[in-house]
Amino acid sequence: MVIREALAPFILTVLLLIGILALVLVPIAMTQPDPWGMIDTFLLGPFRNPRHTGNIVEMATPAMLCGLAVALMFRTGMFNLGVEGAFFLGGLATVATALLVPLPALALVPVALLVGTLIGSSVCIVPGYLRSRYEVSELVSSLMLNFAALFIGLYVVNYVLRDPSAGAMVSYKIPLEARLPRLIAGTRIHLGTLFAVVACIAGSIYLFRTTWGFESRIVGANPGFATHLGLPIRRIMLRAQIIGGAIAAFAGGIEMLGLYQRFSWQSLPGNGWTGVVVAILARDHPLLLIPAALFLSYLQVGGDLVARNHDVPSEVVGLIQALILIFVTASAITRNPRLLAWVAGRRTENEA
Amino acid sequence: MAASTTGDLPFLRFEGISKRYSNGTQALSGVSFSIAAGDIHAICGENGAGKSTLMKILFGLEQPTAGTIHLDGEAVSIASPRVAASLGIAMVHQHFSLIPSLTVAENILLGQEPRRGLFIDRAEARRRVLALSARYNLDVDPDARVGALSVAAQQKIEILKALSRDGVRALILDEPTAVLTPPETDELFQQLRDLQRAGLTILFISHKLREVRALADHVTTLRLRQVSGDSPMAQISDTEIAALVMGASRPTPVLRGGRAFGDTSIDVRGLQLAASNGADRLTGVDFSIRAGEIVGIAGVDGSGQRGLVSVLSGARRPTGGDVSWNGSPATSLETVEWRRNGMAHLPADRFHQGGARSLSVTENALAGAHRLARFAYGPFLRKRAMQQRVGEIIEEFGVRCPGPGAPLSALSGGNAQKVIAAREFATRPSFLIADQPTRGIDIAAAAFIQSRILELAASGAAILLISADLDELLALSDRIAVIYGGRIVATLDNGPDVTPERLGPFMLGLESAAW
Amino acid sequence: MSDLFDMSAIIALVPVLLRVTTPILLAALGVHISQRAGVLNLGIEGMMLSAALAGVIVSAATGSAWIGLLGALFTGLALAGMLAFAVHTLKADLILAGIALNMLAASGTTLILFMLTGDKGMSGSLASQVLPSVTLPVIADILVLGTLLSGHHVLTYLALILVPVVAITMMRTPFGIRMRAVGENAEAAATAGINVIRMQVVALLISGLFAGAAGAFLSMGYVSWFSQNMSAGRGFVALAADLMGYGSAWGTMLASLLLGTAEAVVISLQGEGLPSELLQAVPYIVPVIALVIHAQRRKKAA
Repeated sequence: MVIREALAPFILTVLLLIGILALVLVPIAMTQPDPWGMIDTFLLGPFRNPRHTGNIVEMATPAMLCGLAVALMFRTGMFNLGVEGAFFLGGLATVATALLVPLPALALVPVALLVGTLIGSSVCIVPGYLRSRYEVSELVSSLMLNFAALFIGLYVVNYVLRDPSAGAMVSYKIPLEARLPRLIAGTRIHLGTLFAVVACIAGSIYLFRTTWGFESRIVGANPGFATHLGLPIRRIMLRAQIIGGAIAAFAGGIEMLGLYQRFSWQSLPGNGWTGVVVAILARDHPLLLIPAALFLSYLQVGGDLVARNHDVPSEVVGLIQALILIFVTASAITRNPRLLAWVAGRRTENEA
Repeated sequence: MAASTTGDLPFLRFEGISKRYSNGTQALSGVSFSIAAGDIHAICGENGAGKSTLMKILFGLEQPTAGTIHLDGEAVSIASPRVAASLGIAMVHQHFSLIPSLTVAENILLGQEPRRGLFIDRAEARRRVLALSARYNLDVDPDARVGALSVAAQQKIEILKALSRDGVRALILDEPTAVLTPPETDELFQQLRDLQRAGLTILFISHKLREVRALADHVTTLRLRQVSGDSPMAQISDTEIAALVMGASRPTPVLRGGRAFGDTSIDVRGLQLAASNGADRLTGVDFSIRAGEIVGIAGVDGSGQRGLVSVLSGARRPTGGDVSWNGSPATSLETVEWRRNGMAHLPADRFHQGGARSLSVTENALAGAHRLARFAYGPFLRKRAMQQRVGEIIEEFGVRCPGPGAPLSALSGGNAQKVIAAREFATRPSFLIADQPTRGIDIAAAAFIQSRILELAASGAAILLISADLDELLALSDRIAVIYGGRIVATLDNGPDVTPERLGPFMLGLESAAW
Repeated sequence: MSDLFDMSAIIALVPVLLRVTTPILLAALGVHISQRAGVLNLGIEGMMLSAALAGVIVSAATGSAWIGLLGALFTGLALAGMLAFAVHTLKADLILAGIALNMLAASGTTLILFMLTGDKGMSGSLASQVLPSVTLPVIADILVLGTLLSGHHVLTYLALILVPVVAITMMRTPFGIRMRAVGENAEAAATAGINVIRMQVVALLISGLFAGAAGAFLSMGYVSWFSQNMSAGRGFVALAADLMGYGSAWGTMLASLLLGTAEAVVISLQGEGLPSELLQAVPYIVPVIALVIHAQRRKKAA
């Protein structure tokens, strides 16, 4: 009974997700010549073809990592939204290193990722430092720096890394030695996915089993309590943003080295915002990020399939994500005692 | 001054007012007394006697669970502050409800601004405020920005704001001089007398008997949620009032045993803290605590205890004076340095400082200790050692909880305090600040925590005990220091002759003994 | 480069400056109003974007730029209403709901654009209208003053007029006073009988209107099309402008002008051989530096 009560919020969230999906998909399906076909493609299509199922996993990779970055920062009470820019800049710096720095083949991946992480994380660290030293809102400064990172990055792409022989504004080809190996034949799942899963597990260990993670959580749960204990609050907040920025930048790096042949982003790719939705869906719990990211990626793949076969743009998924974000944080719904009791009660009936 | 009853009907009469909260706490029990029109009527009582609750009921912020209020002889039901206002009852709040960036006139007339078309009629507003100001002889500048004014000036504006509604007959003030300096207090008294002359009845709560003597025509004392005395000021002496407030001597259980004390551990000299909030202000505190000694600080809420605790816990830096610990200067230590040297602190504000409600019992119990070698291996927490320790704590302290992983919010107040106490005691502190350690928790838990405090003292720690519960203070302390107006006004060795009656005059500002 | 410091070049810069400042100023005024009531409108970016699209669609459908403007204003209003609903009724977190609104707008505008035109990038196929610029009759002919004062866009004039309007409303009307009371000390305002939640919702709705005007300017000001994500973070820049504005409408205007200057300088330098991408980064770096200076000043004053 106690366990069922504890599961009630989870079940309520699941019901909510189903409700949102219905809310968006049904009206759109109605405009289609083949409504059931569209819904079928969206919901079941991803599982019919191993390559598409693989897409779910490979798309979940950056979502997981960005979600981890967001979760770690939010848990410390920092509303730093620089994940978006850190991801972009991290990917760029990684590719730039691979292209520009002469390195032996074995060192290429680690060094490129390292440099990419260092440079990309600045988009989160600078707002963190400004908050810690000058009390400037990390929210506003991180939003600004996302765009600054974008344009500085575009400069580098278009002037330094650009391959004139290619048709579009893309970089030279990333050397084969720098690309991350594929893990499963028939799919594009790459080593980065493994890193992402390990990172989430490591994130969980960090948050719940290390002194640093514990201190982060204390600061986020009750800064007054942290002060009472004499914890160095500013340092802890900055630390969280350094780690968050590094993870986001790393995510960008492995996304590039795992899936791309050239650096081709001409705008902020949006993984940072997906990361926010993933983190909120996972209630900022690193282990739950994995299923949350997989779920959102599953939606994304479904959306792509529908876009390809049914002439409905994949932005539908963005719509769904936005609604998920609002409704999952709507504590009037998710913490509604009557709804929770109803859910818990219903479960009991089914068990009996 | 005078003007007692005009006619046979008292202006206001409380009859059998009782208040019991839904969680079972009894705040008032059959309170009955009258207030004469045009009087300045003082309400005195200790912490928790029920004064504030009574005023809240009069102002419509709370409803009595029994009894009636009579206004001009007729029973009235004051369901909300609006109703109170319509009956002519106005209240000046303890925490000012002013908007700093608005002007005096805008604040006073907020919600009833005079208009000229779409705009505020500034000239009319100025006129109204000046008229109010003249009528009640309270000088204010209608165009000044409230945020730039002194606390005393802001209080004047609060008073004017309370009087700005039509038909005000009574003004309630809750500890009005708490935030004022002595000269500002004199000015306030002058203003209140002027208001009385203008025909207002004034009710004010105060624990400062000197002020009550100077200002009031009539006094009612509350003790333990009941009326303990009611008399015109002319017919009662200060010591009698003090006795009515503090109660007769009663035998206090002696919990502390004879102990040998060590050297002076904590020494405080001339400590000063400037604070805009009078409850924090320190104007020169002197006392010391020896190793193994429990020094209890007695005082009515708002006498400077908050400021004292904030300095000794490292939260704030004093503006004057010295603190030394075992001989070394400790005046501007940060919290983390105090703790490193062996300080522990049971905070009065359990919600905001004592713990994090969303974190688990284990996490709350071991926060702060998590870097010790016992609980951490490098950066990693030793989960098993922590679980084991929490198990010991739960058993030792008798914490009733769904489990060590349950969030702190799931525990009752008493059990949460046990967890907090366990955490603070676990460091085997050599200096403990116990601030309201048993407020609001069940008797068994309270007794347990008190016994742990005694044990800690027996092991040689210096203990600063701050409590609004005189019984607790008298039972546990070796010495008692009374704080009033930001200063220690008396220090007594605890003994059978130290009773609430004896402490009363000091706590209420009537006497001050040399240190 | 030396031409830049030529008087005539500076005068020629003014129309450009006003042009780029207008959307920022309108959005910043919207943020300012809701901030005064204590509500941080993070969704201003999404509101602008959606309003920009709405303006294009409505003006194309009706053939009238002015009705298009109404459409844009209404859209801003409606989205602000959604945000208010999410925060006050559903009890969602204010910042997260704002982020969600931006995401909704980004996806939604592309979706709707596609459904109407089959094109995700631009609304070229829609015959949307342009709102006019205004030539002031006599002033336009005066030599220097003409360039400075006349020929600006109607929404630019509107924005500049709104600054004193907002300032006076906040300082001199009961409505404004009460809103400021709610933002500074909600409890005190409630005691004075003010309906706090209603004030906050109204403030949010008004900020949505301003966002709508800003969005209309983007897509119907000097151009007559909508392109994907055309707000390009200007809503966020407006947040920075409000933060630097010392809590007054005039301050917000000065801050918006400052940030607009950065963008205007960038535009005028674009022909000069400096890479455009680096220049485009400047308008986003300047606010951060300005925020640091502002924060330092406040620390010194405190």
